[in-house]
Amino acid sequence: MSNKIITPVEEFADLLPDEYKELINKGPFFKTKGIEDLGTFKEIIDEHPHCAGCGVALGVRLTAAALPSPEDTLIIGTPGCSFFGLSQAALNYSTTAFGNQNAVASGLKRMLTIRYPEQNKDVVVLVGDGGIADIGLDLTLHSWFRREKITTIMVDNEVYGNTGGQESGMSTQGKVLNMAPKGKLFPKLPVFDMAKISGCAYAVRVTVASPQKVGRAVRKAILIAREIGPTYVQIYTPCPTNLKFPPNQTVKIAKEAEKDYYAYEEFITAEAQDYLDKNNLK
Amino acid sequence: MYVKVRVDEDKCIGCKLCILACPDPNVLTYTENKKVSADENRCKGCGLCVANCPKDALVIS
Repeated sequence: MSNKIITPVEEFADLLPDEYKELINKGPFFKTKGIEDLGTFKEIIDEHPHCAGCGVALGVRLTAAALPSPEDTLIIGTPGCSFFGLSQAALNYSTTAFGNQNAVASGLKRMLTIRYPEQNKDVVVLVGDGGIADIGLDLTLHSWFRREKITTIMVDNEVYGNTGGQESGMSTQGKVLNMAPKGKLFPKLPVFDMAKISGCAYAVRVTVASPQKVGRAVRKAILIAREIGPTYVQIYTPCPTNLKFPPNQTVKIAKEAEKDYYAYEEFITAEAQDYLDKNNLK
Repeated sequence: MYVKVRVDEDKCIGCKLCILACPDPNVLTYTENKKVSADENRCKGCGLCVANCPKDALVIS
């Protein structure tokens, strides 16, 4: 995509809102911006209706800041908390029926490869734990089995936050929630381990307590998905509203989980590592 | 109740930890004199930046 498409003509520049003009002049498009530059440029996501202290919003914000080329990225979402942040974003965004995100992404990626054979068009699936681990698990796994070149990012808040706090497959065992009064009866689903054996070229498990690692993981995942195969990033994003803790403790809870059951783990195949080394990508 | 964040510029060392912890975009920005400044109109008052500040330079009030 060229810069001309989003730059307004002079006659109409006065009519546009200030946020849009700021996005053109100070935005991250057509420049290499990363997590470490946050605060110095206008972010592509603007005001969203998430709760105060929302971990998902933090995860989505860090992901959006770490995209290697936001102007050529297509984000696929599904209903849930991860949906809202991106409908306010200056990104190409497509929503799907609940759980269909990886099937839709596969089709879009194939279509974009035919239409723009000489350009990199990144297709990124950014959904919550309900979309990947519960309702869309079959479609997600099959997109990995087929080696579709898409990036799957899960913002894991361990609960259905949007609908009032039902237990999800990713909730920890014994967790008492609004609509699980006896505690969850079965353990957390090992989606990260499934990703490793299902054909993903790169898989990472991080929490929002380490933003630099989130940025590096998202960047690498998208770069590898351009050439090698499917990639998976799982970000732990605690939910203050439904997991019942004060909103200023989100990062602390994530840090505790990092020491306990959500330790940083990176899986990369030899082929993907070779590709990164050869092209000198970080 | 209306809550918002304020930055004490004398205490701020410009480490950017608050910017990386804030869930809301474009609230905390990094100024040219290497300090953090806050857009009070966008702040939701969650207090994540205060909990992450090593120098207690931010206050929610």
